[in-house]
Amino acid sequence: MPFERIVVAIDGSECSDRAFDKAVELAKLTGATLTALAVEGPLPAYAATLGEVDEVKREKDLFFGALAAAARARAEQEGVAVEVAVQPGHAAELIVRLARDRAADLIVLGHRGHFVRDHLLGSTADRVAGHADCPVMIVR
Amino acid sequence: MSGLAVAAILAGAILLAGTVSVEVGLSVAIVELAAGFVVGNAFDLTAPDWLTFIGTFAGVVLAFLAGAEVDTPQLRREWRASFSIGAVSFAAPFVVVGLLAYYGLGWNHRQAEIAGIALSTTSLAVVYAVLVETGLNQTLIGKRLMSATFVTDLGTVVALTVLFIEPGVWIIPFTLVSIGVVYVLPKLAPWFFSRYGDRVTEPEIKLVFAVLFLLMWLAGRAHSHAVLPAFILGLVMSDHYARHHKEQERMRVVAFAFLTPFFFFKGGMSISASALWANLGILALLFVGKMVPKLAGVYPLARRYCAPHGTFTTLLMSTGLTFGTISALYGLNAGIIDRTQFSLLVAVVVLSAIVPTAIAQRFFQPTPTQIEQEVRT
Repeated sequence: MPFERIVVAIDGSECSDRAFDKAVELAKLTGATLTALAVEGPLPAYAATLGEVDEVKREKDLFFGALAAAARARAEQEGVAVEVAVQPGHAAELIVRLARDRAADLIVLGHRGHFVRDHLLGSTADRVAGHADCPVMIVR
Repeated sequence: MSGLAVAAILAGAILLAGTVSVEVGLSVAIVELAAGFVVGNAFDLTAPDWLTFIGTFAGVVLAFLAGAEVDTPQLRREWRASFSIGAVSFAAPFVVVGLLAYYGLGWNHRQAEIAGIALSTTSLAVVYAVLVETGLNQTLIGKRLMSATFVTDLGTVVALTVLFIEPGVWIIPFTLVSIGVVYVLPKLAPWFFSRYGDRVTEPEIKLVFAVLFLLMWLAGRAHSHAVLPAFILGLVMSDHYARHHKEQERMRVVAFAFLTPFFFFKGGMSISASALWANLGILALLFVGKMVPKLAGVYPLARRYCAPHGTFTTLLMSTGLTFGTISALYGLNAGIIDRTQFSLLVAVVVLSAIVPTAIAQRFFQPTPTQIEQEVRT
């Protein structure tokens, strides 16, 4: 399938690393543009002070800044240009929204497989698959 | 139950609340309030005097921190545009809730004033977290909203400090000392902090605490509350803290590790589950009493100054948490409101932190593309 715009979600986990490698491979094969989205996760909801929000944001910025740099370096090794977006918020919602905004024709994301949480709340992969406007590739 | 047994239970519950807040992504304040509510009602504990004392001081420290967190250069730039939104956001629910409590619920005028103040607030921290998550904090609208929130908070602390002052000689020293420390401390701080600061003994924190205790004592003698001078003191110190971020961090560490948990825990412990259950209708009425005037008053202005995100910003201006809790707790500690009234007010404050935020984020959140365009312009 000739993909033109691929969105891949990254979070620093092993399964997201595998998903990113697969997305880079697909982008290289098809010549698609690649956008990686690193979702920082929500900030503390209903905070009482700015300090609480700032502190969490700073920690997340540090971690995800390094993650974005590593993703760029890995894609560059394969000769693929990647745009990395780092955003705070809810993962499934942001992935679907970014894919829609960029008119992506494929979303790639990893699946960690957490038995209890997945059965109780549903996984991010399930939610993205349920709401995305384009095909979703889930990498295990 | 002995004092130490109560302290051990509270310390354990506060530790648990801190870890739960990290795991579930909720603010520690909300979890501490909830933990206090559960412990207070399950063990039928009444807050010991030392908890009330630490909680009261923590409320004043929170007001100081809130002032110190204000971005004053931004506030100066957006003051005019934000003033109308912030002023209406304070005045509309203050008047409507006050009248509702007085005429509709039969509360006396001081109780109605506490209700009006507690439910007039807008939570700077709740608004800020949502703005940062959406990226709106980098836009003009986000900056206006933050400044408007400051104006609302200022209205709240002015009302809380001024309305309950009883005429007497103590007003004079309270006023003079308040003005004096607000004038002197920012000038003294650079010298004092450079000479004595940056030590594990933390003289700079001790200086701030000494001033806050002095203000609390004088405010108490004047039958008032020290939140206004504490908030203004934080505000005038904000430029200093912006340049010396580590000092502000250490202050936050002390506050969050020891003081504010007791403030929110005491707030939660003082909420009576049975009182809430028996007064669900009044709870709903007060919630509507806060939300309707906030929404109706702010929306026309938000459409004008915050287009195209009028509804989103209006909902955010309807949130409340810290100053609402401070106001209600002041009313309870000063014997102005009873435990049932306190329970209702804090429950509405917590609901107002959650409900409008959830609706704004679920239905009216701007798309990343919209935000990117606005950041570029």
